Amino acid sequence: MPPEALAAVVAVCLPLLYPAMALLPSTRARVMRFALPLLPLPALLLAVFSDPGWQLDMPWLLNGGLWAMDELRRLFLLLTAVLWAVAGLYAVGYLKADHLRRFCVCWGLTLAGNIGLTLAVDIASFYSFFALMTFAGYGLIVHEGSGEALRAGRVYLVMAVFGEMAILAGLLLASAAADSQMLADLPAAIAAAPQKNLVIGLLVAGFGVKAGLPLLHFWLPLAHPVAPTPASAVLSGAMIKAGLLGWLVTLPFGEAALPGWGALMVVAGAVAALGAALLGVCQRRPKTVLAYSSISQMGLMVLMVGGALADPGRAAVLFPVIALYTLHHGLAKGSLFLSAGVSMPTAAGARAVTWLLIALPGLSLAGLPFTSGALAKLAMKEGLSADKLDFALSGYLSPLMTAGAVATLLLVLRYLWTLARTQKTGRNPPALAAGWLAATGMSLVAFWWMPWQVDGLVKAPVWLPKMYQLWALLWPMLVAFILAAGALLVSRSVKKR
Amino acid sequence: MTLWLMAGLLFTPLAWAVLTLLTDFRWGRWVTSFGILVQVLVSLGLWLTIARDGGFYYGLGGWDAPLGIELRVDGLAVTFVLLTAVVASACGWHAGVYIDPDKAWHRYFWPLFWFLWSGLNAVWLGGDLFNLYVGLELISLSAVGLVALGGKAAALRASLRYLLAALLGSLAYLLGVALLYGQFGSLSIAGVATLLADNPAPAGSGLALALMVTGLSLKTALFPLHQWLPPAHGIAKSPVSALLSALVVKASFYIAARLWLEFGATIGSFAAAQLVGLLGSAAVVWGSWLAFRQQQLKQVVAYSSVAQIGYLFLLFPLTYSVSEAVSLQAQQGITLQVISHGLAKAAMFLAAGNLILSVGSGRIEALAGVSRFLPFSLFSFGLAGVSLMSLPPTGGFTAKWLLLQASLGSGQWWWVAVLLAGGLLSAAYVFRIYRASFLERPETDRFYHPPRSLEVIPLILALLSLGLGLASEQVLSVMALPFEEAGAP
Amino acid sequence: MMLSVWLPVLALMTSLLAAVVIFALPEQGYRLRTAVNLGAALVKLGLVVVMVWGVFRGVDYGVSFTMAPGVAFVLKADALSMMFAGLSAVLWLLTTVYAVGYLEDSPNRSRFFGFFSLCVASTMGIALAGNLFTFFLFYEMLTLSTYPLVVHRGTEQALKAGRTYLIYTLTGGAVLLLAIAWLQGVAGDLPFREGGHFTENDPALHTSLIGIFVLLVAGLGVKAAVFPLHGWLPQAMVAPAPVSALLHAVAVVKAGAFGIVRVVYNIYGVEASSVLGVLEPLAWLAAFTILYGSVRALWQVDLKRLLAFSTVSQVSYIILGICLFGPVGAAGGLVHLLHQGIMKITLFFCAGNYAETLGIHRLDEMDGAGRRMPATSFAFTVGAFGMIGAPPLAGFITKWTMGTGALDAGMDWVIAVLVLSSLLNAAYFLPILHRLWFRDPPRQWPHERRWGRLETSAWLYWPTLVTAVVTILAGVLASLPFSPLSWAELIVLREYSP
Repeated sequence: MPPEALAAVVAVCLPLLYPAMALLPSTRARVMRFALPLLPLPALLLAVFSDPGWQLDMPWLLNGGLWAMDELRRLFLLLTAVLWAVAGLYAVGYLKADHLRRFCVCWGLTLAGNIGLTLAVDIASFYSFFALMTFAGYGLIVHEGSGEALRAGRVYLVMAVFGEMAILAGLLLASAAADSQMLADLPAAIAAAPQKNLVIGLLVAGFGVKAGLPLLHFWLPLAHPVAPTPASAVLSGAMIKAGLLGWLVTLPFGEAALPGWGALMVVAGAVAALGAALLGVCQRRPKTVLAYSSISQMGLMVLMVGGALADPGRAAVLFPVIALYTLHHGLAKGSLFLSAGVSMPTAAGARAVTWLLIALPGLSLAGLPFTSGALAKLAMKEGLSADKLDFALSGYLSPLMTAGAVATLLLVLRYLWTLARTQKTGRNPPALAAGWLAATGMSLVAFWWMPWQVDGLVKAPVWLPKMYQLWALLWPMLVAFILAAGALLVSRSVKKR
Repeated sequence: MTLWLMAGLLFTPLAWAVLTLLTDFRWGRWVTSFGILVQVLVSLGLWLTIARDGGFYYGLGGWDAPLGIELRVDGLAVTFVLLTAVVASACGWHAGVYIDPDKAWHRYFWPLFWFLWSGLNAVWLGGDLFNLYVGLELISLSAVGLVALGGKAAALRASLRYLLAALLGSLAYLLGVALLYGQFGSLSIAGVATLLADNPAPAGSGLALALMVTGLSLKTALFPLHQWLPPAHGIAKSPVSALLSALVVKASFYIAARLWLEFGATIGSFAAAQLVGLLGSAAVVWGSWLAFRQQQLKQVVAYSSVAQIGYLFLLFPLTYSVSEAVSLQAQQGITLQVISHGLAKAAMFLAAGNLILSVGSGRIEALAGVSRFLPFSLFSFGLAGVSLMSLPPTGGFTAKWLLLQASLGSGQWWWVAVLLAGGLLSAAYVFRIYRASFLERPETDRFYHPPRSLEVIPLILALLSLGLGLASEQVLSVMALPFEEAGAP
Repeated sequence: MMLSVWLPVLALMTSLLAAVVIFALPEQGYRLRTAVNLGAALVKLGLVVVMVWGVFRGVDYGVSFTMAPGVAFVLKADALSMMFAGLSAVLWLLTTVYAVGYLEDSPNRSRFFGFFSLCVASTMGIALAGNLFTFFLFYEMLTLSTYPLVVHRGTEQALKAGRTYLIYTLTGGAVLLLAIAWLQGVAGDLPFREGGHFTENDPALHTSLIGIFVLLVAGLGVKAAVFPLHGWLPQAMVAPAPVSALLHAVAVVKAGAFGIVRVVYNIYGVEASSVLGVLEPLAWLAAFTILYGSVRALWQVDLKRLLAFSTVSQVSYIILGICLFGPVGAAGGLVHLLHQGIMKITLFFCAGNYAETLGIHRLDEMDGAGRRMPATSFAFTVGAFGMIGAPPLAGFITKWTMGTGALDAGMDWVIAVLVLSSLLNAAYFLPILHRLWFRDPPRQWPHERRWGRLETSAWLYWPTLVTAVVTILAGVLASLPFSPLSWAELIVLREYSP
């Protein structure tokens, strides 16, 4: 067994077996929380240090198990591991004593599912980990036990179960068409299958529940605000991306042109990107705003998925861009969510620094130059540029992306605004502060050290935008600022009167 | 060797009868124990001889038919002889413990018992109509006497009723025999059959057969002539009930069956066969229903006999104008039914007697909670019940299986419904008793454990009826042994 | 080789003898009885393991003798019988352990364990039966030996349930007997044979064969609780938990389903069945039962009744599986024979643990039980997710294999049934899980007992955990040799290429 394979087993089994600690007497089980940040570390090491290409063959597992790593999975794994690690660190400081064991059990299982589905290449283990993540995630959402949390949990569970069933049916049909138990064989088989549209429909809808596709998104704005803050961070940063990964590994990208599905996805993406922003700016609670922001951001990614579906030739280019955008959004959104639970220091200087650190990942989302957002936005623009994409709707994509950028910043501003009204002042538990700082740091700084060049994904140093690009990035932000300022003035004058 | 066996079989019971007539109950028990041993050994010896050499005709005292008493010693007869030995010795053994020796009139039990036994052997082996009649009368009279041993007024009433029915039956049978003798000039069954095979049946022979069969049906308690049976069997002492239900009614049926098989094909008619079958079916349904309605434990068992006897009469339609194979199946099925019912019913009556002894009441409700004491008798009762329900692997099941095959094979599928419904109905009354025994009532704490020997006997019988199902092929193969034609007249 | 003759007989005799010995033991002989019980169960398990290995290598185990004219008593071990025998041997051991703990201090234990052993002997006989006649023999013996277990409590309710049980099963038995006798008349005594007997059948026989098939399925369907013959099953829930566990998971319902498998595969043969056109209606009936049972389960408030309706639904998976014309679907159905057994027994063990430890019988009493009894609740969770068909548990393997098989056979509608059934299962199991884990426990349990260190008696604790772990392993390790799935594939391989 190659060392990578061993590491993969450890990466999955560590969080999977960690819940067994709950069997300890309750006094000793308290130490469980200190293990939370350590759980994703093997996965992180695997993502950072292993070269893609290895595989772990487990013929005895389910219907024949195969775990492997490619570029795409590596990025997703990286995101997952980083986010869960920082959120885990945050959780050490955040968690209170009640139901601690239950939370830790659900955390471990959800994490195992999330890591596992990223590594799995065969259908059965992929679906197993997906389901594990789905069901264990319920425990994270309803953890607080309030009526609102229970309601959110119920909506989540109902939609998730329907989603699981759609995925099951879709995978079954696809697997039978492919006569294979491997994910890699599915796209080609689906493209050739007589029930192509049914299969694609089932898979799009099934994974769409996780990815917050419009009309399948209802659970998101309910669940994210009520979940404990570290759980919201991983829900929004990592788990939501599992739906996206599901699409990427099953749908027939690059096999056949599916303009119909492409158009549908683009419409869905546009509705998500703009509609969620519209709803989001009306929200009062910071984490609800962030949830809508996630839907909106996922909408932008769905645009790319639509483009890739429509034009098989372009899919290969769009894939790395989607992965890049995923990584960027996951880290930034994780950091933003974690900031929702941070208390403000009393000293003015420290306050300013804190506000800056809270705002920066948000601005990065909006595409502030010299941040990961700028890189991602530019890459997306390049990937979806009308002249290279063979797609009827390609002309609309660029304005849509610009509008999306405006919407993004508006949501971020709304978030900061609501946060300012609700945020408490006081001291943060050290672990909580460390977790948040680590997340922010990852989003702002560590991003640059990440191994972009491995597959020639983005040519270095593309992140330093050229002059004309700077303007392209900045003017939507300016529009958003003006809009926000206008809204502020209007609301003030309304209140005065 | 054969001579000794035959003599032992037919005459020693009479000797024991006379001997026990002279002693009191306790001495009678010792004599009987020895007698039983001899009888069992002799029966077994004869059975082994037949199983090795095949059947033969035997002229008693060296005189052959038509002058002397001719005995037909074939596989079927010796099987029944063996059955009698098993059941009667079980009942005798049980009675020795069960019956109160201090009541003066109980000393007559032993002589009556031995007369009954010798009568039974005479019927199984009898080859001519008159000797069969003699055997039958011997059986009837001693059976009536045994019923009357119950002692109470009700027992006397029942025994008188029984006596009346038995006499009427004998009368009808005798009339038929007389008619037959007038037409054929022979009393030997085999002789008459030979005559019938060569010549067309004379007019009136049908009437003779009908009279004989009716008389025998009355003695067998075929529906609707069954009213005398439940009171008699229900009121008698348990070992007596067991003897009556297991063996006595079978004797008259045995004669009827032999008459039908020898003469039926020529003298009988399809309608008559169907009619008898129909009466049998009615007996199955009606008897089971009445059994289900009874409040007294032994009455349930007695009515169950009415129902089970009904099955036997399916022999008539299932052997009339059908192929050889189907007829053979039906005969084998009925034979198994006779044996398994004999064993099971004896087990059931003996077990019921033990249960009544234990709870001190004959009512079914009194059984509530009995099963927690885990009495063997309840278990034996249940095992016997399984055979009555004709569930596998009992002899009752194999019998039913063969009858089912015969019904389907003969195209007379309507008997299938009777067979299946009969099984379910018998389940209904057997489980009613079970149900009562499983009921948990707080007040059930008094329970008398009867002596082990009383409990073991019904268990052995029940296990035999169970094992019969597994070994029925072996049992039946003895019956199907080639008959030694040389001895035939 | 003598051993090949004696192994099946011995496997049968171990529990039969155990029954006899237990009946003979005094009620107070607790230790001795337990030793006999466990000893017999272990010996039987050993024998079965040896036979499984032998069958795998292709050894013929069998014994037969003529029982009555025209029919033989045949014991034979083929791959299919070893599947059922293995299941009952393993679960007998676990259930015995469980029952010892469950019935501690209760009356009538001798009677209980005696009939319990008889029941297992019948199951073994059903598994090893080599023709329909022998099968019927043990099938009826099973009816009889389970009746005392159903009415064990001796309450009015129990007796009423017992009566219903008998009416259903004995009538079913009678119908089955008729069918077997008819078949015997048409075709003689047919041994179970891979590939069946009617591959090249006479068109003149078609009507009778269809009639016989309908009767056979009706007779067997009673035990398999196929709609509309399922009425006895929820009522029989008054029995003690280990009985429900064994009755529902292994003995009775599986005997019915197993019988249908035998009829389709080893009497008629799949091809002949599909030529006769009997499989498709049966598939629809099974599909309807699957959904019907789940819908009825939605409205139950009593835990064991809910599980009973779930059984009604789950057993029909097996029947649906064998109706799918094709090796993959067949493997899916067969593997569910084992999977359903192990999952359902887990759930019933849990129900028993809750009842015995906390006095919980109804769903609304289960709030917060996960805190008080985490291990039991873990097992329950595993069982429930298995029933839903969530991966990687045993139930998923079933659904996946059956789904693939249905698509292979071109019966796409089966996918809809599978998905719908999973949704319904989720609809009634997930709220229970929510209650267990996410509600606060009441101040006072209905009837709590304490057993020191563990959450419940060790006799109840370990079997429950073991079955839960096996449920997981049966799914996760589905591709190992000798896993349920591999064994089912072996059976199917031998059936489809005899």
